[in-house]
Amino acid sequence: MRLYVLAVYLFLYVPIGIIVLFSFNAGKAATQLQGFSLQWYGKALSNTFVMEAFQTSLTVAMTSALLATVFGTMAALALQSVKGRVRVVFDALIYIAVMVPGIVIGIATLIALVTLFDWVNPLLTAIWPLADAAPQLALGYGSLIAAHGLFSMALVIIIVRARIAGMDRSLIEASADLGATPFGTFRQVTLPQIFPGILAAFLLAFTFSFDDFVIAFFVAGSQTTLPIYVFSSIRRGVTPEVNAIGSMVLAVSLVLLITAQSILRRRAPKS
Amino acid sequence: MTDRSDFISREKFMAELARYEKGSVSRRHFMGVTGLGLATGVLGSALPGLRGAAWAQSGIGDRVILASWPNYHDPANFEAFAAATGAAVDMSVFGSNEEMLAKLQAGGTGWDVFVPTNYTISTYVDLDLIEPLDLSRIPNYDLASFDPRFAEPGTVNGVVYAVSRNWGTTGYAVNTAHTAGRQMASWKDFWDVTMAEFSGRTMVHDYQLTTIGAALKSFGYSFNSIDPKELADAENLLIEAKPHLFAITSDYQPSMRSGDAWMTICWTGDALQLHRDIPEIVYVLGTEGGELWSDFLAIPKGAPHLDAAYALINYLLDPAVNMKEVVFHGYPVADKRVDALLPPEILNDPIMYPAAELLTPLEFGAAVTLTDPGRAEVMARFKSA
Amino acid sequence: MRPQVRTALFLFPAGAWFFAMLVLPLVVIFVFSFGERGPAGGYVPALTFDNFLNLGSRWAAFRNTLVLAPVGTLTCLLIAYPLAYFLAIRANAKWRTLLLILVIVPFWTSILIRSYAWIYLLGGQGLPSLLNALGLGNPRLINTPFAVLVGIVYGYLPLMVFPIYVSLERLDKRLLEASGDLGAPPINTFLTVTLPLSMPGVATGCMLVFILLMGEFLIPAMLGGGKVFFVGNALVDLFLQSRNWAFGSAVAVALVLVMLITVTAYMRFTRRWAGGRDDISLM
Repeated sequence: MRLYVLAVYLFLYVPIGIIVLFSFNAGKAATQLQGFSLQWYGKALSNTFVMEAFQTSLTVAMTSALLATVFGTMAALALQSVKGRVRVVFDALIYIAVMVPGIVIGIATLIALVTLFDWVNPLLTAIWPLADAAPQLALGYGSLIAAHGLFSMALVIIIVRARIAGMDRSLIEASADLGATPFGTFRQVTLPQIFPGILAAFLLAFTFSFDDFVIAFFVAGSQTTLPIYVFSSIRRGVTPEVNAIGSMVLAVSLVLLITAQSILRRRAPKS
Repeated sequence: MTDRSDFISREKFMAELARYEKGSVSRRHFMGVTGLGLATGVLGSALPGLRGAAWAQSGIGDRVILASWPNYHDPANFEAFAAATGAAVDMSVFGSNEEMLAKLQAGGTGWDVFVPTNYTISTYVDLDLIEPLDLSRIPNYDLASFDPRFAEPGTVNGVVYAVSRNWGTTGYAVNTAHTAGRQMASWKDFWDVTMAEFSGRTMVHDYQLTTIGAALKSFGYSFNSIDPKELADAENLLIEAKPHLFAITSDYQPSMRSGDAWMTICWTGDALQLHRDIPEIVYVLGTEGGELWSDFLAIPKGAPHLDAAYALINYLLDPAVNMKEVVFHGYPVADKRVDALLPPEILNDPIMYPAAELLTPLEFGAAVTLTDPGRAEVMARFKSA
Repeated sequence: MRPQVRTALFLFPAGAWFFAMLVLPLVVIFVFSFGERGPAGGYVPALTFDNFLNLGSRWAAFRNTLVLAPVGTLTCLLIAYPLAYFLAIRANAKWRTLLLILVIVPFWTSILIRSYAWIYLLGGQGLPSLLNALGLGNPRLINTPFAVLVGIVYGYLPLMVFPIYVSLERLDKRLLEASGDLGAPPINTFLTVTLPLSMPGVATGCMLVFILLMGEFLIPAMLGGGKVFFVGNALVDLFLQSRNWAFGSAVAVALVLVMLITVTAYMRFTRRWAGGRDDISLM
């Protein structure tokens, strides 16, 4: 069995190894090793467009994950005390949000927004009172955050709801019996219990948004996220710069994951 | 070289103007000799609006967004542009005019400059997606030195929307190391060999004009046909050939270079680049015909960095820069001034400048192919098959 | 404030967001699916069923997806399960976390770049040349359904491993010991104790991977060379090349319907088989 596991890990890491290997290529080709060099890392880090794409990805991921976590947690909490039709509707919405493929959401959002803009922008231009050009709605940060946030929010609701369902109710009752206000109960009893779930949901939402290509590809407009930049680079003719970017993202996520793991292990008692 | 006198005689002015119009002297010489350059420079610094007319290129912003084709630009030229103006070039590539049109129709592309092909410009004008060009901001564009055949499509209803960048042909590239001496000359050869000896080794473009056109030509129909019966014949051929194809892509150079593919529908410059590095790869213009095309530089409506757009276009049309581009990408340009600067071995290259009898059967793309739903569906069905 | 008001207030942001970014766009493509293609592409309002009647022209794309999605899911499952089993039950606790992280990390590298590595590995200079050197012939691996399958399994393996691991990790090991003590051979223990108890995780993993595969277009585009068309690719083509928004919307509606049917049927089926355990959650 160990041999099998080793084979699977090899399968997972040989392609990654190739990517990292060629990121050190002294030559220009992404498929022919011609010596060792760090030039591509330098080029990637000094490339304005790469850095901007990275920043855009970061901003969109952070914002959409934060909003999704806050609104999703609120909704998860509220859904506990909701029955009947409203509950059914929300359950259906969450189910649809997770089930509809990203590409359909991306395309649908694109054409819905484009149709909306085609309708609203002439109106804006007509009613704008000042002398300079009216602001025009366009695809960009807003549409990215809105589209990513949708799926993330569904994820958050699912995860937090599961966490709430697994909570120890007796503590809440005890807290109420002892005279705590609902908000106090929430802050001191409920929240600590569901917090790991909220944190996990936030991380998941962040990862999803940061790595997403399909939805961003359709709704990003003139903005470029890192996955879009990589895709565009591959079409342009791959140079090892793309490999360097991939290796750096990999290294950062490896460090983050290991750090998070060691922090969690120190915080939580041995289970 | 410039004749700086305080004033210039009327006769001398007319003589210089005549020489300039004939193309015997450059605009720069004319401006310098007549003192107009100095005057414009003085005015330009005094009146900010006229700045674009002179050579001042700074202050155009920090970027220009370009939408172009694969293997079309020398990166060194972009680096020089960035160094001189402070504007970095952000380029994305596309494999077909339909892709560019789709992106522009959806809006919010953020492009400053794009490279449309001759037959698409009238559609862009109809759809109000393209900006009329202010030629005074492109002093390097000298209409007189451009071959009208290739420059003319950029002007629609008397307004200039696009300036000629280069022209070329569509044929196919074949790696003769695998043909075993068989003579490849026609589109019929292309399809026959695809389905036999080269099964699994041929590529076609992800671009309906050239791929459907290649199929149409092998029957002797027009490259631009929208006749349903002819399109049906082409579709049958394409679907029959599909299992034998290696890939459907307009980014075909890597596979040709790695030896995964042995034959592909190909444009002039790519063929030249491939042949340069792998001499066994030759370029074939199908005897039945093919496409003759010219590409343009244009500005889409709503371009966010207009100054940078004009600066880039002007820069790329500078004969000295254009010459370097030609040497890199291998596509011929319609600008006589550039031809004057090119070394003879390039001017005599049979791939870049095919013999007249090979050029005659070629057709320019027709605007209707871009919008015809029949052709779009044939291509989509072929890809879905 | 009154609890009902607070509940409504808490639900409002999420509800509004769902309405604006999920319901409205889906309604738009539903409406567009009855329209017609504009003269230069795009959408022209109309009321016609032609688009739905024309869905048959994309049958190959649907067929490819409906075949390769389950096959990919199953292959992923077969490869992931032993790995998850090893990690949850056999692995040394010291190594377990590290090994888990090593499984998840590839998921963090862009799927684009990882797929690109496969273009190289499956292309003429990669595995085929290796096989050729070993005298095993020179097979064409890239731009085939096989290449797409490899890409799929490679891309989604971590996603399949994780829920199965979670499910197996919660297993009470004493049950396995008890089964062994009662004289059952290991294979029986596995089939009658371990496997059934891990079904919720298996069901979650399979559903996640299957749903994502149905909408996949990147991996077929990169590893299929334009020859392997999924419904996702057909959609991209219809919106970004043929520019037939009306027909594209119809294809999108069809895809959503197909998924609704298959996923609902799948969930009913697994719920019955998994013994009614409602544990379809990621935690």
